[in-house]
Amino acid sequence: MFFLKMAFKNLTRHKKRTIITALIIAFAILIYVITEGLMIGMTEMSFDNIINLESGHLQVADQNYWEDRKELQLKNLITPAAEIENKISQTDGFEALTRRLNFAVNLNNGIDELPVTGVGINLETDSRVFELDQHLVEGRMPEAGSTEIIMGAKLAELMDFQLGDYAIMLIRTEEKTFNTIDGEIVGLFNTPHPSLNESNVFLPLSTVQERLNVEDKISHYVVRLNDQDLASNAAEELSSRLSAPYQAYSWRDAARSLVTMLEMQDIETQIILAIILTLAAVGIVNTVILSALERMEELGMMKALGMHEREIVYTFMGEAAGIGLIGGVMGVIMGIIGLAIFNINGIDMATMTGGGDMTYGFPLSGTIYAGWELESFIFVFVYGVVVSVLASVLPALWAARKDPVKAIYHR
Amino acid sequence: MSLIKLTGLEKIYQQGKIEVPALRGIDMEIESGEFTTIFGPSGSGKTTLLNMIGCLDKSTAGEIVFDGHSINDLNSKELAEVRRYNLGFVFQSYNLIPVLTAFENVEFAIRLIDKHSKKERRDKVMSLLEEVGLGDMADRRPNELSGGQKQRVAIARALIKEPKLVLADEPTANLDSETSKEVLELMKEMNEELNTTFIFSTHDPQVMDYARRLIEIKDGKISKDQRRD
Repeated sequence: MFFLKMAFKNLTRHKKRTIITALIIAFAILIYVITEGLMIGMTEMSFDNIINLESGHLQVADQNYWEDRKELQLKNLITPAAEIENKISQTDGFEALTRRLNFAVNLNNGIDELPVTGVGINLETDSRVFELDQHLVEGRMPEAGSTEIIMGAKLAELMDFQLGDYAIMLIRTEEKTFNTIDGEIVGLFNTPHPSLNESNVFLPLSTVQERLNVEDKISHYVVRLNDQDLASNAAEELSSRLSAPYQAYSWRDAARSLVTMLEMQDIETQIILAIILTLAAVGIVNTVILSALERMEELGMMKALGMHEREIVYTFMGEAAGIGLIGGVMGVIMGIIGLAIFNINGIDMATMTGGGDMTYGFPLSGTIYAGWELESFIFVFVYGVVVSVLASVLPALWAARKDPVKAIYHR
Repeated sequence: MSLIKLTGLEKIYQQGKIEVPALRGIDMEIESGEFTTIFGPSGSGKTTLLNMIGCLDKSTAGEIVFDGHSINDLNSKELAEVRRYNLGFVFQSYNLIPVLTAFENVEFAIRLIDKHSKKERRDKVMSLLEEVGLGDMADRRPNELSGGQKQRVAIARALIKEPKLVLADEPTANLDSETSKEVLELMKEMNEELNTTFIFSTHDPQVMDYARRLIEIKDGKISKDQRRD
């Protein structure tokens, strides 16, 4: 305790140096907290966008369809049945259920053709699961049984469509014959999910089923739960109640590649933190060496009084811990202020991507609001102190092993 | 039994490829309670001798017996233990810890021994500070004390653990003659009161006047060993 007290008193010898070294640690913590906060914000927004606009919380499909779902083939579709829907509705946290049919479309404006994803939606139930209707920037949702369609404003701009125009949609039926839908564009949406804006066309489910000649078949059910954290367990539990080939998948299964990407991003953030704190550690090493050189006669006296090397090392480690604590507190305070700014004002995705439309695979656009987790603060604070202490060990050992005579006479 | 017994003590420093002998065979015995001065010209080897006696440096040849135990074969940790419990040091430049108060500087030495309760420690430190005339300056930091006061704190720090031996390397070199006299009086008083053995190195004639035994070192050898009553 005495050594710790002395170590902390030693921090007052060169207050400016202590503060500057602590500031380096504080900045490292600030950068980490902001990066982590933005990552949390991006993750939360990405997941929200996927859940609210693409996958819901759960999807129920034929497992053979699920494996090849990105190919949009009309194989392994399912026929809705009250028995399945009853089982789905008994899921823990169940809120709503809707049916969808995804299919491949070649969108034609008379000059150009673009392959996009067509989605047949049940207009009565879709808004209970998805938020698509909340992102309409022009027009309205299609009417059930009509050939009205909605698409992303971005896609419309790309294909030179306007509200009220007719889009020719070239499709292939289950029997591989070609068919078309002349869809009247009645609504344009602009969601925070960029790929939805650029490559999806939505129209009434019954119209799609009729034109694709699939009777009342759908590609999958989509389920909304009252808590997204229930999804993984709910999918497992529901799958156990469903008979083959039906299987339930959580939104995490649907966004597997995104989850993996975010995990990689998390590792990247940790590496950034490690690099920044390593640089801060150089500051600590420098401070300990300078302190030892300045106090060489004192160190000699301490050794003459019988202080062990270990005790001298503890004293320097205590000082480094003090610097780490001061830097940690400053970093956390600065981090809270920085996060509050990014949490209230947000940061435009375009700023992060150099003004372009690039999203780096994240299903989000517009303004990102930083999120925060108490664990991040605790982790980075402890990490900062630990790195400070560890950085001091070698220079402290160097100082402690000085020959007492050379130290006393500063030779 | 003598407190210190040196037999054929030699110390050779290696400066590059050149060997520089600092001590060339010292034979000496110091009894408990002695007040001894080692004097001689600069470079004669008196500081080296003091460092050997103080377990701070190792000899090249010869033997050092401290309180009946040979310290020749002790490792650095064991030597630190000997210093911790048996030796007190007073340095020319005081070597006080600037961030600690006079009280804490003295307490520092006794803390290393760790055999007293907090109250005992406090009473002991305060009583010694009173004895060296700094009772009312216990809360001052070294930069708030004069040279003489700093050296008094250093003496109190050397004596607080009641060591068998106090080694003082030119303790008055940075003090004016009046303050030197006060400091020497104090050490003499402590020597008589506590029966602590004191060994000084100096070339200050005033210090020599206080010594009861004078040992002169020339070229690494004892050239004179004189006892006074």
